[in-house]
Amino acid sequence: MFTRFVPAVSPAISPCLAAVCACLMVLFPAAAWPQDSSGQTYVPPRTPDGQPDLQGIWQAVNTAAWDIQDHSAGAGVPAGQGVVVGNEIPYQEWALAQKQENYENRLTADPEAQCNMPGVPRITYMPYPFQILQFSDRVLILYEYLHVVRTIYMDGSPHPEGHIDFWMGDSRGHWEDDTLVVDVIHFNDRTWFDRAGNFHSEALHVVERYTPIGPDHLRYEATIEDPNVFTRPWTMSMPLYRRQEANVQLLEYECYAYSEEELAADK
Amino acid sequence: MRKRGIDTAIVIAGACAIVTSLSATGQAPAGALPRTAEGNPDLQGYWYGGPVNASHSIEEGCCDPIHARMQSRGPDRLGLPEQLIIDPPDGRIPYQQWALDRRTEYLYDMETPTELGHIDPEDRCLLLGVPRSNYRGDLQIRQNGDHVVILYEWAHAYRIIPMDGRPHVGEDIVLFNGDARGRWEADTLVVETTNFNDVPWLDSHGSFYSESLRVVERWRPVDANTLRYEATLEDPTVFTQPWTMAFTTTRIPDESYEFFEEGCWEGVTNKHRLAAGRMAVEAGEQHLHTHEEPAR
Repeated sequence: MFTRFVPAVSPAISPCLAAVCACLMVLFPAAAWPQDSSGQTYVPPRTPDGQPDLQGIWQAVNTAAWDIQDHSAGAGVPAGQGVVVGNEIPYQEWALAQKQENYENRLTADPEAQCNMPGVPRITYMPYPFQILQFSDRVLILYEYLHVVRTIYMDGSPHPEGHIDFWMGDSRGHWEDDTLVVDVIHFNDRTWFDRAGNFHSEALHVVERYTPIGPDHLRYEATIEDPNVFTRPWTMSMPLYRRQEANVQLLEYECYAYSEEELAADK
Repeated sequence: MRKRGIDTAIVIAGACAIVTSLSATGQAPAGALPRTAEGNPDLQGYWYGGPVNASHSIEEGCCDPIHARMQSRGPDRLGLPEQLIIDPPDGRIPYQQWALDRRTEYLYDMETPTELGHIDPEDRCLLLGVPRSNYRGDLQIRQNGDHVVILYEWAHAYRIIPMDGRPHVGEDIVLFNGDARGRWEADTLVVETTNFNDVPWLDSHGSFYSESLRVVERWRPVDANTLRYEATLEDPTVFTQPWTMAFTTTRIPDESYEFFEEGCWEGVTNKHRLAAGRMAVEAGEQHLHTHEEPAR
């Protein structure tokens, strides 16, 4: 946790500062430290076993489900400002052409149209709520969309050996200050990032960061790395909002059940 | 599931609990149960699902003679390990006559489906509902303050059971897995579930219910590693009386198991099965699915 402070001080005094910080952390375990890139300070409540408490029902409120980049409105598509930091996705040349082809064919080629599990981070910004539940050795994220479940193991265990083709990848997490950091690998290449055809290969590696920035807001960042498709890592960033309805709970969206005749039809 | 090594502490704790319970009356003394910070029995961990073959038929288990031979099933893998329906005593679902007739129709369509509704919802990757989810593969229980969560390996299904006494959702909301509310009665987790849709079946035999279904489940720890499960189903539209199924299950001894993603729906199609069913019906091959050897 000290790494963010070290660059600001000379090497000679940084060990002292680290020691002071450590003492402060012992004396004031809930001491306020800068938490997010916007410079806000927020100290989240703690679970009974001392973890930052991110639990609750959350939802993104943006248009990334349609297109993670800046886009104008179209039929059934709200205009939106993108969630990609800098708005540019650094595609390799072939991949940019593939993305454009995906875009042309998006109504049928989008894996969402087949009701497949949408992958990470796409599941986060689909227009459905999800619930975070924390336990001593794992975090569960339960999504209303297609009853998707992610278990984020927090016990220091490594990813299983692979490669394994999971729709939702394999998630291993840890805390950095009050930020839940999740490392996700073992994806298949059958999911997109949005309805606009942004895609990846099975070499996808996602690092998610869930940072509490207020009682009802998380800062969600996902760094995308895929040497088969992109020239460098890139990042999405967006707030997540706590659902405020007193009686809110997850319901069901069983995608394929509602279009089963078409998806399983004898054509 | 994946094995990461034995959690010795848990195995020892479990062994101690078993020894303690055996040395007493056969029932675990209350002190032998691990407990959560809130003082409730700690049921967390991985559990075997309900008895083998129940998901095929909760009345008869498995199977028809052809499948029994194809799968080389010995006597230990036929039928049910023990009667699942404990009330009524005959072990049969107390259907109203019209409902029994409809279930028989399903058994005629089962091997020659001509429409999706003839195919077991499980084969269509639909959520299995309650109680079927509990006897179709292994499950995981997690407890956390106001919630009990049950995760199922089959089709990555889950149930969230709020324990905070909130009322059920409005009656116009129907769900595959229903709307669950839980409470503790002494050391028994009691879950009352309503707001069901009428799509899932109770087994592959077309055992069905209506949206009037109400299920009360009782998860009672017998000892640290044994759970007694009972589910009472009430549906005045379909059944003549409430009825109860029960089974006992045990912990999967290795707590370091992990569920792997079981996608289920990933390009599934039933079109070939429906096409074959239609051809068979046209050829006059429709017949009642039965576990009896055909008369020769």
